[in-house]
Amino acid sequence: MRKIDLIRKRLEATFDPQELEVVDDSESHRGHAGYQEGGESHYNVRIRAAAFDGQSRIQRHRAVHAALGADLLAEIHALALDIGTPG
Amino acid sequence: MSAQDQIKETVAANDVVLYMKGTKSMPQCGFSSRVAGVLNYMGVDFTDVNVLADDDIRQAIKDYSDWPTIPQLYVKGEFVGGCDIITEMTLSGELDTLFEENGVSYDKDAAEKIREANA
Repeated sequence: MRKIDLIRKRLEATFDPQELEVVDDSESHRGHAGYQEGGESHYNVRIRAAAFDGQSRIQRHRAVHAALGADLLAEIHALALDIGTPG
Repeated sequence: MSAQDQIKETVAANDVVLYMKGTKSMPQCGFSSRVAGVLNYMGVDFTDVNVLADDDIRQAIKDYSDWPTIPQLYVKGEFVGGCDIITEMTLSGELDTLFEENGVSYDKDAAEKIREANA
């Protein structure tokens, strides 16, 4: 499974999000640190889920990190997160 | 001294500390560069720690904050966040509030200019 699908699958399973957008942004980092041929290094995630209600920014990010898992995080150079609640 | 103790000492001894890739004058990563840029622009006096210069610190800082990525900003010993969180807090004005509450001096006009430019 490609990393982008794995990211989507794990986030969907954990948060049942109302909105989820995962973009492989690796190409825009071509030539920068962490870029690798073929992409799959830099991702942008936009997620909106009721599960984040009442959580601080740090708690939300930690929850996403935990849902993705250390194995997947270790294989990603950069992950930009835009986390919120629906509406 | 262990890397953990070293971090404890650094964040206790300095009001604002940024663990980053590269230095504030020569960042080595776009995300570190963005946070250092905001702090520089806002005229915040901060200590930069280049994790690329020390592999032990690079790993230890992730364990210290239970946070997998660099950069990491600390104010008065407390972990504030990484690039996404600092960007959001800058634009919302929460970073201003955090600095005010902790007696960290910064240029409010510069902060407003960042917000105007990103409105």
